[in-house]
Amino acid sequence: MLLDVRDLHVEFRTRDGVARAVNGVSFGVDAGETLAVLGESGSGKSVTAQAVMGILDTPPGRVTGGEVLFQGRDLLKLKEEERRRVRGAGMAMVFQDALSSLNPVLTVGDQLGEMFTVHRGMSRKDARAKAVELMDQVRIPAARERVRQYPHQFSGGMRQRVMIAMAIALEPALIIADEPTTALDVTVQAQVMDLLAELRREYRMGLVLITHDLGVVADVADRIAVMYAGRVVESAPVDDIYKAPAHPYTRGLLDSVPRLDLKGRELHAIRGLPPSLTDVPRGCAFHPRCPMARDVCRTDVPAPHEVSATRAAACHFWKECLNG
Amino acid sequence: MAEAILEVRGLHKHYPLTRGVLFRKEVGSVRAVDGVDLTLRRGETLGVVGESGCGKSTAARLLVSLERPTAGSITYRGEDVTRLSGRALKAVRRNIQMVFQDPYTSLNPRMTVGDIVGEPFDIHPEAAPKGERRRRVRELLDVVGLNPEHINRYPHQFSGGQRQRIGIARGLALRPEIIVADEPVSALDVSVQAQVINLMARLQREFGLSYVFIAHDLSIVRHISDRVAVMYLGRIVESGRDSEIYDHPTHPYTQALLSAVPVPDPRARARRERIILTGDVPSPAAVPSGCRFRTRCWKARDVCAEEVPLLAVPQRLRGGLAGHESACHFAEEKRVVAPTP
Repeated sequence: MLLDVRDLHVEFRTRDGVARAVNGVSFGVDAGETLAVLGESGSGKSVTAQAVMGILDTPPGRVTGGEVLFQGRDLLKLKEEERRRVRGAGMAMVFQDALSSLNPVLTVGDQLGEMFTVHRGMSRKDARAKAVELMDQVRIPAARERVRQYPHQFSGGMRQRVMIAMAIALEPALIIADEPTTALDVTVQAQVMDLLAELRREYRMGLVLITHDLGVVADVADRIAVMYAGRVVESAPVDDIYKAPAHPYTRGLLDSVPRLDLKGRELHAIRGLPPSLTDVPRGCAFHPRCPMARDVCRTDVPAPHEVSATRAAACHFWKECLNG
Repeated sequence: MAEAILEVRGLHKHYPLTRGVLFRKEVGSVRAVDGVDLTLRRGETLGVVGESGCGKSTAARLLVSLERPTAGSITYRGEDVTRLSGRALKAVRRNIQMVFQDPYTSLNPRMTVGDIVGEPFDIHPEAAPKGERRRRVRELLDVVGLNPEHINRYPHQFSGGQRQRIGIARGLALRPEIIVADEPVSALDVSVQAQVINLMARLQREFGLSYVFIAHDLSIVRHISDRVAVMYLGRIVESGRDSEIYDHPTHPYTQALLSAVPVPDPRARARRERIILTGDVPSPAAVPSGCRFRTRCWKARDVCAEEVPLLAVPQRLRGGLAGHESACHFAEEKRVVAPTP
């Protein structure tokens, strides 16, 4: 397995107490596989990505437990110097907001070239040539001219391509993309997702896609891990989950998406709101919003039950949920 | 078919681009809205979809008279709203209210919920006598599913979905006939979006409201709309009943837009055809000649650069399900969304 995250815990110290943003998260990604980490705001999906990548803001954040095995090595045990070498060459990240992730006073070519001068010790001239090559690869038209331009001269979709170019520059084994298309328009979204999928195939990279969009997930993912209040509540191959969810939260999410055959009828909304991370409900965190909740849900945290060899659900009543 | 309650004809809004400080010179203009025709019928929802920069938010602001159009008319109850001023304009504004996109910035953080929802009564005192207002605000909070006891709380004490309910309560305060909602759920989480959509649908039935629902999310627009208008670079490119637009689109832009929407069903992956447009939307300060979509269109020919296609029912398609308004020289039906079994 390329990336194997085991029982990861991350805490934030805030004025209102300790927020357990990530509370025992486990998942794995193989080479050439796309895993979607699906969750709403505050579910801990982005913090998980940052902890894996080693770019968590510390303080206030702190990894308090677990392992992040990347190509067999536990990244959490590495020194910062060694970790930096893994970042970029081994794994890279694509952020949501390309405009604020790029340096506004450096040309796009300089920023792309920096990857090669810093990590590969290339000369500036060679690095510039590599930058043009990369821009061609992510299909930015007129790369030779645009390499001298600044980020603000690029459109949103083109900026996201620059971010992707930067991520694949050193041919990493794994890419983590945190909501890579959320800020983009639908037609541009499709272009960028297609590009990511193609590059993944070409380089046989693993891809971790952090998203809240059930549609994007269905389009590109092989497997899904659904997160709620800092935990993975269900993980499964994508087809299985859409066919029959084994967790009431997953079911609620799927039902709340407007569908053509339900037009005019009430949408199935999940009642209530996601919990605050400083005040997660006892027992199963989803129980106050769950239509299936019973007494045991209020007291016992459900362990991940094995639904099949490739599937797990953290619900006391996963069998009932699975059978509708 | 219900009567038309709001009719928009040839609506334009151009913002001048100037150069120089002392001697201001107009060097061009941003054509944000550039000839829009819309009809809203009583009790119906008109969905307006388009990508960022297509002018849909400017159109919304024109509809509620927050801005004055450069040209064109907006007819409400037989009167052209764009020519009204003073008391007559104020009376119209009372009946056409707006719900804004971002519930985080559209509510004043220093005002209590009671003051926010009751503020419309300060501007239109005739809507509720002074002694009545507090009670009316409590009623409104109850109607949108908020606890009336929270009347003295501040916006930051509410979640995003609850804040949007506050915005909706404010929009309802004056009992308007029409509500223009500009991306009312796009800032909300998926599980909360559905709650707000259900609320809006219920309020429409209860109060007989007519909605103009502006959004970029095609599946939500389809869910709530009776009629849909697709906007591109300041113009409507296609409009019709929701099934006409979604099941029988004839404009290439609509087809591309529909095919790009991610469908939350992995089985649909194989069944649907994807049209991936090249390039980005041109700037509204430099609109292409002729058909403004031609720079990204796979069907474009010479005529598209010369003649502006008008929004009309294409001759060839009359009578069929594809027979609805489409602004394309080569309009033809193409199914892109697989029918749901």
